[in-house]
Amino acid sequence: MSEVVKVVEKKAIPSDAIMLYGLPDVGLVGLIATSYIISELDFPEIAYADSDLLPPVVVLHNGFPHAPLRIYGGKNLIATISEMPVSEAALHPVMRALVDWGQSKKVKMMISMGGIPVQNRQDIKEPKVYGAASSKDLLDFLHKKEVAILKEGYMVGPQALTMRFCVERNIPAIALLAQSFYNYPDPEAAAAVIREVTRIADIKVDVSQLLEKGEEIRLRARDIMKRTQRELTQMKKSQEYDVPYVT
Amino acid sequence: MSTRRKKRSIFEIMREHVEDLEAFADELLESTLVERPSWDLQSCCLEPLCSVLVSADEVVVTADLPNIDPKNIKIEAVREDLIEITAKMKRKLHFEDFGITHRQGEFSAFRCQTRIPVPVNIKQMKTQFKRGILEVHLPRKRGYRIRIE
Repeated sequence: MSEVVKVVEKKAIPSDAIMLYGLPDVGLVGLIATSYIISELDFPEIAYADSDLLPPVVVLHNGFPHAPLRIYGGKNLIATISEMPVSEAALHPVMRALVDWGQSKKVKMMISMGGIPVQNRQDIKEPKVYGAASSKDLLDFLHKKEVAILKEGYMVGPQALTMRFCVERNIPAIALLAQSFYNYPDPEAAAAVIREVTRIADIKVDVSQLLEKGEEIRLRARDIMKRTQRELTQMKKSQEYDVPYVT
Repeated sequence: MSTRRKKRSIFEIMREHVEDLEAFADELLESTLVERPSWDLQSCCLEPLCSVLVSADEVVVTADLPNIDPKNIKIEAVREDLIEITAKMKRKLHFEDFGITHRQGEFSAFRCQTRIPVPVNIKQMKTQFKRGILEVHLPRKRGYRIRIE
């Protein structure tokens, strides 16, 4: 396991679980989706990530300090969130450590949730979700679940590294990405991703509360979105708009 | 004695452009690097998330404006290259609404100033509000055509 980033366990970690990732990225789709799942399923914090590469930050909730990058868990599910964007400089070691840790806990699949920025997002009522997978079997599985496949294109950021490290370690991995705003928190896109996750991970999460609280979420998420925008520029996230040369 | 207007040399024009670019770079640096809160207690305003997109024909400024009625959005041209967006909120917000108890203050509007990076016809500005996002379309000023020989 990576020594630069340490995962500190606080409670018993479920084995054979599905591990969800929701780190700040375009539209904060993954973060909004994962934190909603954690809240709906009432998961406790089971671990957190510690590293000198991360800024000197703690988040206070109900008066208690928490590490910004935390792991929650229930019976069959582990969910990772970060309350601050992970900088480009720290992203590789952080994602590597999380994937290594998940492997050591015998996670059976890793699912990254996020967004695909689309310029006409205002005109889209129900964001479409696209999937990418680490193996042909998983692509077939997504196909059977009627998830549209992300056939060609670039992935940049946390989900790109999760996918890469999972392929290297032969861990089944899926990325579920909803059409979303680039710069603005997108609870509707998060709801669209959750709907797909519930079909894949066999969990029950009702997204009606998330959609009802959409405005409140957008107000609350302004600051973390602003900080995330800066990191997205640093990691050249706009490359996701590019057309790959080799097909 | 009549004073004739001195014709500017190409170097003077270039120097002016460089100075404009430097001023723009300074502003950009300040807006991205200087840490400041996204709220202002004196004006009771929150700063909305904004972005500027420059295309071949127009500049599109967008702003995320939750908790507002589109009728209460005001867009003002402060200068040829600066617009101010103000939007009164449907209900006032307090720090307590975000669970913050160590600060006091209330917010009744969103306000931001956005610099337009290229010359535009501000009088031909068009707006729309969809899915909580304000879009301000500003057509770019046209230059002159260069004939291809």
